[in-house]
Amino acid sequence: MMDATRYRAPQASDLSMVDLDELVAIFHRASGITHLVASPVPELLIALSGRWLTLDGIEQEFELVDGNRAGLASIMDELVAAGLIERRA
Amino acid sequence: MSDPTDHDQPAQPQRRRALRIGAAGAVAVVSIRPAMAQAYGSVLTCEIPVPDPGQAGSYIDPSGKVVPAGTRGAYAPPGRPLKGEDIRRALASGGNLPGVDYERSRAYLKYVQNLRSGTTGFTCFASLQMPRR
Repeated sequence: MMDATRYRAPQASDLSMVDLDELVAIFHRASGITHLVASPVPELLIALSGRWLTLDGIEQEFELVDGNRAGLASIMDELVAAGLIERRA
Repeated sequence: MSDPTDHDQPAQPQRRRALRIGAAGAVAVVSIRPAMAQAYGSVLTCEIPVPDPGQAGSYIDPSGKVVPAGTRGAYAPPGRPLKGEDIRRALASGGNLPGVDYERSRAYLKYVQNLRSGTTGFTCFASLQMPRR
């Protein structure tokens, strides 16, 4: 299945990330909203920082562990809903 | 890599890193909306009508009491509601409200300080009392 949907995260300078043991607090300057996230969200935001990637592109960079493409897609959906990721069909 | 618009790709493809996806349906993001930031903004922008709209046009005497218009020794009300930030600055510094002379400023500020819970402007006044760093 070919899926051309692309995703992009804000530039690193638009996010402030603070490690809180298992969690990471992310302050999104554009919205003024702070998000508490856990792995794999910080890794995804860094990988997608300022550049568009498809799910295929993400899988070229990362080996999905303890989950599959559907799990990755649902995380991306949640990040889009939170305003941390842009999606373009 | 396949996408020609990518500028930040490393020249050499790196070994794939592990990305732990975790349980399906687990919440990945908890968002904290900036309610406090909005409250902070309202401190700077809130206004206090002097006197309250129900007594519009009444004068303010030197002790801050609302008295009938024209009362000798009392002051005509300001033409517009006082700004929270101006009040905060005047109370903190002992200075005057902008464009208002000393005696009149004292009377208006006493009126504000006499506000009680439930009266118009009290929430604004209370927010000015919050400690600020």
